[in-house]
Amino acid sequence: MRDFSSSPGLPECATVSEARLLSVLDTAADGIIVIDERARILIFNKACEQMFGIASVEAVGQNVKIVMPIEYAYDHDKYVGSYISTGVKKIIGIGREVRGRHADGTVFPLELSVGEAATPDGRQFIGILRDLRPRKESEQRLADLQSELVHLARVSAIDEMGAAIAHELNQPLTALMLYLQAIRRAHSRGMDINAMVGDILDKAAAEAERAGHIIQRMRQFVEKREPVRSVRDIDPMVDEAVELTLLGQRHRIRVEREFAGDLPPVAVDPVQIQQIVVNLVRNAIEAAAPTGDPAIRVRTRLRDGNVVIEVHDNGPGIAAPALPKLFEAFASSKRRGMGLGLAISRTIAQNHGGDLLVDPGGNGKGACFSLVLPVAPPPVPSEVG
Amino acid sequence: MRVHVVEDDAGVSDSLSLILANLGHDVISYPDAESLFRSPPPDGSDTVIVDLTLPGIPGAQVVRWLLKMAAVPRVVVITGQSQSAIDHQLRGLAPAGVVRKPLTVEALARALPAS
Ligand SMILES: Nc1ncnc2c1ncn2[C@@H]1O[C@H](COP(=O)(O)OP(=O)(O)OP(=O)(O)O)[C@@H](O)[C@H]1O
Ligand SMILES: [Mg+2]
Repeated sequence: MRDFSSSPGLPECATVSEARLLSVLDTAADGIIVIDERARILIFNKACEQMFGIASVEAVGQNVKIVMPIEYAYDHDKYVGSYISTGVKKIIGIGREVRGRHADGTVFPLELSVGEAATPDGRQFIGILRDLRPRKESEQRLADLQSELVHLARVSAIDEMGAAIAHELNQPLTALMLYLQAIRRAHSRGMDINAMVGDILDKAAAEAERAGHIIQRMRQFVEKREPVRSVRDIDPMVDEAVELTLLGQRHRIRVEREFAGDLPPVAVDPVQIQQIVVNLVRNAIEAAAPTGDPAIRVRTRLRDGNVVIEVHDNGPGIAAPALPKLFEAFASSKRRGMGLGLAISRTIAQNHGGDLLVDPGGNGKGACFSLVLPVAPPPVPSEVG
Repeated sequence: MRVHVVEDDAGVSDSLSLILANLGHDVISYPDAESLFRSPPPDGSDTVIVDLTLPGIPGAQVVRWLLKMAAVPRVVVITGQSQSAIDHQLRGLAPAGVVRKPLTVEALARALPAS
């Protein structure tokens, strides 16, 4: 982009009025530094003064090391020297990210492109510098936004499942209540219940525990948190996510689970991976429900050295026109859909070094989504046990 | 009185049997509609408690079948679903009682005939 190595303009620079040249350079938004073969600064424009907190008059004549972190500064002389003696380019003509040092000691990221010019006064190097900090900040903002989005979609899934959760909690609460009331009644009638009361109380406690588990699972799923990777077996994780999605589903769905059982573990954030499975299974159910006899198949297997989780349904498949935008956010065909499920799922998959793929089906075949995850690297000895 | 309980949740089914026995009833439990249909049918003096969410044949289907019998037993629906979901599934059906979960012995006793 900013390859000045063959710039025809520069040799003439020496003949242009220096004042005029400087005034042009000073209007540049990028920092511009020109150095000679001995790395002495010849030109230091206004943007550089700001960037490094050094006045041009102070900078000119000094070694360019003054704007570099100590560790670079040491190598820099060698680079210039080695290039001049060998002609091997380490940076010339290539933009790259380096670090600069402000007069106050702050070290910050810079994009640096270096061009070279032969002038009557000898070889000169011109460096164009762009402070990367604003960009880094916006990247951070983007990452924040993305995690917010992931959270949002999770919450909306929960919202929809809210009624289902209430239903699921109703079961243990019903059992708990009836067990306790049975004891109460027997007790108030003076019946001899000693023989069975221990057994009933155990059952009641188990039901309370079951209610607690349901809440725990939901909490794990809803709460926003940093991704935490751990090495896990995929099958139980997928099984649990399928269960979670089916909680009190109003549609009657046949669910076929075909787990490999012997897959190598994956290094993943279990909650995020389960979120993908929940999204895919919800979509599958929503697609298949109108068929009258909805059926989905969830399968895990090893393919080309990756762990693959497939979610297949017997719905209508995905029409060709919808395919290109399928994984884009806010692409939804549903009245109440946000169109976030697949977008977020693919982002998570790719953040895990994997991917989310689709076989659109159609012509009587339902869609089949494949979540591909790389196998975890073998554990290093210190992590064993 | 004989009470048939069609409920797939083991905990709910077990505690229901216990409390119904406690109330003085003979209880027969079924984990799904299919096993109810395979057994000798309830008669007109029996009560059948049916959970709406069953695996396989849905609870509403069981209710419809029971209400069409020559000697209609007393049918009591139990469910944890939302009112709109209940209304939707029970369209055109009039069971003797609908009791929403979580169940209490008082609510159950109200839905059962006095014995
Ligand atoms: N299994 C499937 N079969 C057919 N079409 C599907 C399937 N899965 C997704 N789609 C289509 O892809 C669209 C996008 O899915 P996505 O999960 O991203 O959003 P959504 O389900 O519409 O809304 P949200 O998941 O945010 O509630 C859906 O609206 C639907 O048209
Ligand atoms: Mg979706």
